[in-house]
Amino acid sequence: MTLRPARWLAALAAFPLLASVPPPSGWVPARWSGANPKTLDLLSGTPINCLLLESYTPEFAGRAADHGIVALAVFKPGGDPSDPARKAIRAGMQGIVLEGDFPKGTAARVRDALADSHALVIELTSRARMPVGGPDAIIGTYQGVWPGIQVLENGAAKAAPSGSPWIDTNTGFIRSVRAWGLAAVWLGYRPPAHSVITGERYLEAIADAEMAGARWIVSLDGDLSSRLERGDAAALKDWRAMAQVLAFYESHPEWRSLRPFGKLAVVQDRDDALLSGGILDMIAAKHTPVIAIPGQRLTAESLRDASMAVNVDAEALTPEQREILKNFTRAGGTVLTAPPGWKGQSALAADQITLDKAELDRLNDIWHDVQTMIGHKNLGARLFNVASMLSNVLATGDGKQVVVQLVNYSAYPIENITVQLLGTFKHARLLTPDGAEKNLEVYPAEDGGSGVDLDRVSACAAVRLD
Amino acid sequence: MTRREWIALVSTAPLLKAAANAPAAPVAVSRCASYNEDVTARLAEMFDQLGGLDRLVRGKTVTIKLNMTGSPGLRVEGRPPGVTHYVHPKLVGATAHLLGQAGARRIRFVESAWATSGPLEDYLLDSGWNVRQLLAAAPGVEFENTNALGKGRKYSRFKVPGAYMFPAYDLNHAFEDTDVFVSMAKLKNHETCGVTLSLKNCFGNLPASIYGDDAGIDEPNENPTSGRGKTMHAGERQPSKSAPPELNPKSSREPGYRVPHIVADLAKARPIDLAIIDGVESIAGGEGPWIKGVRPVKPGVLLAGLNPVCTDAVATAVMGYNPRSPRGTAPFRTCDNTLALAEAHGAGTADLSRIEVRGLPIAEALYRFEA
Repeated sequence: MTLRPARWLAALAAFPLLASVPPPSGWVPARWSGANPKTLDLLSGTPINCLLLESYTPEFAGRAADHGIVALAVFKPGGDPSDPARKAIRAGMQGIVLEGDFPKGTAARVRDALADSHALVIELTSRARMPVGGPDAIIGTYQGVWPGIQVLENGAAKAAPSGSPWIDTNTGFIRSVRAWGLAAVWLGYRPPAHSVITGERYLEAIADAEMAGARWIVSLDGDLSSRLERGDAAALKDWRAMAQVLAFYESHPEWRSLRPFGKLAVVQDRDDALLSGGILDMIAAKHTPVIAIPGQRLTAESLRDASMAVNVDAEALTPEQREILKNFTRAGGTVLTAPPGWKGQSALAADQITLDKAELDRLNDIWHDVQTMIGHKNLGARLFNVASMLSNVLATGDGKQVVVQLVNYSAYPIENITVQLLGTFKHARLLTPDGAEKNLEVYPAEDGGSGVDLDRVSACAAVRLD
Repeated sequence: MTRREWIALVSTAPLLKAAANAPAAPVAVSRCASYNEDVTARLAEMFDQLGGLDRLVRGKTVTIKLNMTGSPGLRVEGRPPGVTHYVHPKLVGATAHLLGQAGARRIRFVESAWATSGPLEDYLLDSGWNVRQLLAAAPGVEFENTNALGKGRKYSRFKVPGAYMFPAYDLNHAFEDTDVFVSMAKLKNHETCGVTLSLKNCFGNLPASIYGDDAGIDEPNENPTSGRGKTMHAGERQPSKSAPPELNPKSSREPGYRVPHIVADLAKARPIDLAIIDGVESIAGGEGPWIKGVRPVKPGVLLAGLNPVCTDAVATAVMGYNPRSPRGTAPFRTCDNTLALAEAHGAGTADLSRIEVRGLPIAEALYRFEA
């Protein structure tokens, strides 16, 4: 069922005490202090239905259950968490979050200890240790880059020589993780310390994850938390805006099951793909739709929609996988392979989530060729006037419906955006977090494609084309 | 000092000696407080004050060099570039409409798009411009990115009589395949040249394929990805050998010397038939967001003239500067005076006492960029 955000919020406001909660794939998480039960009132009218608690009172646990909130107890490395986990479940927690890199086997021991309760155990590991492709309903990491336009010390936006501001994002990482399977992906990074975080930055953090099909575990800095508890009007305004953006994405759960739309595939080794700032993010900055394919999952089927492929870690492929790429080129596809001897990230360190300078320099070897290959071609979609934005283009299995997700990382609304898509579409509708929906004129674009113009996008938006 | 006193001082006490024979032409100035006003009507009135567009453009190809300096991705405080450092698309559309009404056969908008030789239409879209609206503004509207060969088969060579820096410049064909050449500029400062108006706008005529930092050594690089800083500003390398080299490679390498002299050369090489300056909204303190300390300003004026030096002289005065200031004084603190160099080339006079201002007097249009 899909409800417009406004209706969805109204429905929630009318029934704040939800008797049941969705399955884990529908949990919308937030870090919370379990000290003051009154703070649960803040969740009324928001999609947040799952709290991660490092400490809590019995009263808080009870009130959370009354609100239909899933309460999860968080444990950090340091001792075996099995016994504390059992106690937490007995105290009313409905699940356990193991946050950090515990010794191997810990999660399995905790699951065994809680087998009778059927409580869910969620691991928030380093990126390097994420169990991608496994059976867990939810996988996550405590690491992430704080999304936004990189700003230099003098306050100016950091720009590449080509002049576009660089946007820190987790979307490339999320694309890579989701390419392994459809487990719900949680990002548990926190706001940067010693920084003033504006409301817009929280919206960016939420939308950065949601656009790519993951969820940021909402995590408020101390200042905002305390102002919310005091009922500060400005803080409440920011909080409502966050809830609205969350509701926007949560009211479209179907978006999570759409497939990447586009003609360009990037075949990459797991460890390389889990770093931010790499080839996927560089391509995303050009708003070229991209299909992430883990080298280990490369099949002819995975290349079905692609006409171009970038083979980043050629040496990591098996002979069979190389044959798949050869067949791809025989069928008319173009493959760009990294230079001979080029090697990506050898082993991802636990504390590494971005490429270091030496790796970036190496990546530039193939980035230049990628840019030349892409040129001005429309590989699914071309977007204009979106330098401070990132996008994600998704399609239904039959390709008849396409959704273009847009997230604005600047503090200003962007006006006059143009989207040109491959394919013929008759209807387009602009969807925004404020619940407004607007029909857009679809006009013929170059290459026989379809174009739409958007007057204005504030924090985020989506265009649905049929 | 009142506005009128300042104008009187500027007019009667030129700091640089005027070139006696440099031509003079009237300049139209109009109040336009916002792009939401009827820009077309303001512009039409100004063109009428200059004698009408018909006699200039009827049945002709008109090429308009836009000022869209720097990547469209770089913004001042996130604002659309048209209200800061680019000319505004509404002014561009209004100009196209009026040119069409006046009977122009073909209206070609050109710019050497920053670090790319891709279609200019893409660059306009990236700037938030509505290309479809511009195409519909008049019959015969087209676009050309002059940063490389573009739609042409060869570059056009423009000789410079009495050149300062280069004996000739190789430019995109669009600068030759035209009957009328228009420079549409922004009213703003320039870090290297003090002001960037209709003359300095034409520094962007130079294709980066030949004059860019990654230009080919022997032949043009048809896929340029950089600006012209090392080659033209600093003279650290020569343009592609396919184009004429510098007259004196041992001359000063200082950008404050080189760029004004090159701009003055270009005014002589490819004369400007009509100068239009967008001063409705702009920035002060530099030419783009990459200059530290630039700030948005709203001078609320439009200027147009049939002589670029005269038009720039009036525009410089409107900005609160003496257009005849010598090097070392505002706005030419670290550079030679481009207007004076163009004047010495015989391109036009910068002597305000010889320039007739039609419409809004300078004293009423005055907006001090360093106030």
